[in-house]
Amino acid sequence: MPATTENNHNQGSFLGRISIRRNQVISMSMDGTHDMECEEMELFQRQVAERFAELLSCRDEPEAFMSIGWLRKLLDEFLCCEAEFKAVLLMGRDPFQIAKPPLDKLLPELLDRIIKSLDVCNAVSLGIDSLRNIQRLAEIVLSALDQTLIGDGQVRRAKKALSALLSAMLHEDKDGGITKGTERSRSFGRRGNKDKDRSAAAPFRSLSWTMPKNWSAVKQIHAMSSNLAAPRGNESSGLALPVFIMNTALVFVLWTLVAALPCQERNGLGTHFQMPRNLSWAQPITALQERISEEWKKKEKKGTVGLLEEMQKMEKIAQWLLDFADSFQFPAEADKLEEVKAQVEELADICRKMEEGLEPLQLQIREVFHRVVRTRTEFLHVLDQAAKLNIPTS
Amino acid sequence: MAVEESEPVIPELEREENLIAAARHIVKALGSNKNLTTDAKKILADLGSKLSSMSIPSEMEEGKEGEEDEEEEEEEEEGGVNATEDRINVIQEKIMRWEEDQSMIWDLGPEEASEYLNAANEARRLIEKLESFNLSKDDQEYKLLQRAYSVLQTAMARLEEEFRNLLIQNRQPFEPEYVSFRSSEEDPVDENSIVSLGDESVEESLQRDSVSRAAEEHIIDLVHPGVIPDLRCIANLLFASNYVQECSHAYTIVRRDALDECLFILEMERLSIEDVLKMEWGTLNSKIKRWIWALKIFVRVYLASERWLSDQIFGEGEPVSIACFVDASKASILQLLNFGEAMSIGPHKPEKLFRILDMYEVLADLMPDLDSLYLDDVGSSVRIECHEVLKRLGDCVRVTFIEFENAIAANASTNPFIGGGIHPLTRYVMNYLRTLTDYSESLNLLLKDRDEEDAISLSPDMSPGTEEDSKSPGSPSGVSSMTLHFRSVASVLESNLEEKSLLYKEVPLQHLFLMNNLHYMAEKVKGSELRLIYGDEWIRKRNWKFQQHAMKYERASWSSILNLLKDEGIHVPGTTSISKTLLRERLRSFYLGFEDVYRIQTAWLIPDVQLREDLRISISLKVIQAYRTFFGRHNCHLNDKYIKYNADDLENYLLDFFEGSQKCLQNPHRR
Repeated sequence: MPATTENNHNQGSFLGRISIRRNQVISMSMDGTHDMECEEMELFQRQVAERFAELLSCRDEPEAFMSIGWLRKLLDEFLCCEAEFKAVLLMGRDPFQIAKPPLDKLLPELLDRIIKSLDVCNAVSLGIDSLRNIQRLAEIVLSALDQTLIGDGQVRRAKKALSALLSAMLHEDKDGGITKGTERSRSFGRRGNKDKDRSAAAPFRSLSWTMPKNWSAVKQIHAMSSNLAAPRGNESSGLALPVFIMNTALVFVLWTLVAALPCQERNGLGTHFQMPRNLSWAQPITALQERISEEWKKKEKKGTVGLLEEMQKMEKIAQWLLDFADSFQFPAEADKLEEVKAQVEELADICRKMEEGLEPLQLQIREVFHRVVRTRTEFLHVLDQAAKLNIPTS
Repeated sequence: MAVEESEPVIPELEREENLIAAARHIVKALGSNKNLTTDAKKILADLGSKLSSMSIPSEMEEGKEGEEDEEEEEEEEEGGVNATEDRINVIQEKIMRWEEDQSMIWDLGPEEASEYLNAANEARRLIEKLESFNLSKDDQEYKLLQRAYSVLQTAMARLEEEFRNLLIQNRQPFEPEYVSFRSSEEDPVDENSIVSLGDESVEESLQRDSVSRAAEEHIIDLVHPGVIPDLRCIANLLFASNYVQECSHAYTIVRRDALDECLFILEMERLSIEDVLKMEWGTLNSKIKRWIWALKIFVRVYLASERWLSDQIFGEGEPVSIACFVDASKASILQLLNFGEAMSIGPHKPEKLFRILDMYEVLADLMPDLDSLYLDDVGSSVRIECHEVLKRLGDCVRVTFIEFENAIAANASTNPFIGGGIHPLTRYVMNYLRTLTDYSESLNLLLKDRDEEDAISLSPDMSPGTEEDSKSPGSPSGVSSMTLHFRSVASVLESNLEEKSLLYKEVPLQHLFLMNNLHYMAEKVKGSELRLIYGDEWIRKRNWKFQQHAMKYERASWSSILNLLKDEGIHVPGTTSISKTLLRERLRSFYLGFEDVYRIQTAWLIPDVQLREDLRISISLKVIQAYRTFFGRHNCHLNDKYIKYNADDLENYLLDFFEGSQKCLQNPHRR
């Protein structure tokens, strides 16, 4: 699986850094610790900037902006940043350094953000399940239209799936996938709806509903980002900086996932997260964030399933095909059929990408989940140690 | 009338059904009848030759139908396009008739249903036949094929709706009191009464059912058993017509709703991880108990039944069946697992250990069920998640146990524990350990993992000295991980108690306190499962230790008083005669000393009756005996007025010792 090998690769670079760190620790006693630390901080900042800059420059397949491939790359980069962050902050460092101001306040905040991020990870992971649902509907469309003979039967079959698909996309976005109690009875509906092919939309509704009812992605992101302030003065060159970078990267990555994938309750997502300006390491993230924000504002009103590139494309194709289906009369003209064929091929291509990419993406989200949990445990342990060591001295 | 017209395409599924029934009847009749008439023999021989001349249908429905069709097709060739058109007209009429009708076909009865099903199947077969001609757009039949597809689509959309409706309308109630446990003999499916698509022999399906049902005792009917054959027929036809996705999608959504409702009935509300971590322990505790109960029912009853349902409808072990089951149940089971995950993340407070162990054990216990429910690639994501959560709960148990150990080490007191009895910490730790023995198997496994992996670097700062236990020459390999960890906990506790004992100003009380607590530990181990873990050697050592403390107590408490009863130094200087003054002085000091000890040590406490008794006897043997001897020897030199207490008085006073309520002897002397 590609995700694993990439991770292994990351692990490799992470270990590489650890050994560098060890050497530094040894040499620290001889030369100035401070210089080393500055150098290290700069290296970390540069690396973070480079990683996100690379994401900014992705234009082509299979890693087009906000595509499944791109998101996977984003998560890979994030996991690397996370490993580097731990290397900078934890390796060879005395627990005391970590437990003293300003980290004594900043670290618990980070740990709290991590807890909040876990629920976001779960929510977007559920969102991927509902994308699979949409993918299956698209596959029905393919079964119907990927034929030599396209007649009334095939078109009606496709139309039914397309309506369900488009309504599922709309639904995912509007309700974020919560089934409300009353909706259950909808599937009991008797016949009698005239436009039957379109009425099937109700049973094809969202399939993701495991977040608590009052849970909101936007609120969660807001809670994570609202008290996020860049370190000032002296702090801006100390250990507060990597913590801030880590916080920013975490919030940004989750915010991006929420924007890209179906997720419960995210109205106003575009306005809820402001990136710091004028910081060299933050420029690529800021640029990405602005770009996504803009996209979001454009799409928010229309009600889409999220900014995922594949979904954007699929929505267009589905709309086109539905229009075709609405005006269809047998036999269709040859050039119209050619056009249909092209659209169907593109739809098939998207389905293939989803088939290949969604599961690894979901696994990566789990990986992020587990990695930040582990980081949290490690920090808690260090803080705990520092607290114990503190008792005799105070 | 319509039926006659469509004679050539009368569904062979129905014919085959009847044929099999007839053949069974013949076999049965032959079995009971040894003598056949010539007529009968002739008819049977004819049948035999006819059977052998028939082509054997292949396993696949497609193949079977294709070949059998050939005969019909040849007959039909003569009719050509017109005959085909007639067929389509007939089918279309049958299908379209229902489009105006508001009612569900399956609500109206088996005849209507089977007629509709047959008509739809005819459309499918007609398409199959026309497709085999490789028609070009200019052929006349091309338009017919197009029409046939259109009819098929109408029928398929309708069947999908009927399928969904049947599934929903016939859902069985979920309330636990309605849960009827299926016996393995019960056979609710009357196979012969229904229309079945000819793709699997009835006998085969019956056999499968009985096999799977015998194995699963907890299976309930999630959908009324009477409609299962109908559902299977519709599904089969949808599948045969390449409407697999529509069918499995409709199924998945209905069942997902049902399982969601089931969680609701089991009162498993959705909680975010943040909610769980913020929850008060009391609330969380009851939520955990509920979770354990619900998980068992959900996996053993509902998921097993759900899997059985999809097997019944889609065929046991069919990939579609597993895929539908996984899709339908994934969200619910993951919701349950998420709670376990949240618990494993939460703070590792020692008081949570038992509940987390409960969670670990129930999940570990269900793991074989979950493994077999979520088979193959399709189920792997859920299966992996189950194992992950189990592993995390196991890690959480380990870490929490270490936290427990650390908490004992860190428990510091500033004031001595009044009376020198059993310290609450000792009680807490020993009861805690004793309760943990209920989880021996899991705990042994989990603690062993840690020792081997040394995975989490949460080494306690103060590594508990395991004293003589670990250094004993006995082979460490013979000792279980749990034993090592439990002994280590006991050592940590002992050193903590030693520290606590130093808070007493009186040396005898230090020893009394340690004696009490060590005795308590040893007794607790002796009288419970802990004995097996700690071993007799450990108990012997604790017994020796507390006896040592008892001796040291006696020495510290009584030796100065006993010295007063010795003969040295009571003689008139330079002679061998006893100095009465000195004697009187000695006796007075002895009484003073005894009263002093009485006043102090009546306030001390030995909670264990036996231990208290033993120590009094031991004191009596030393002190009262010495007094008796002293008294007997010097009785003659003593005036009665100097004798304040006789030996029996003292004996009685000893009974007031170590009761934990301070007393004074009457007419206290000066000072």
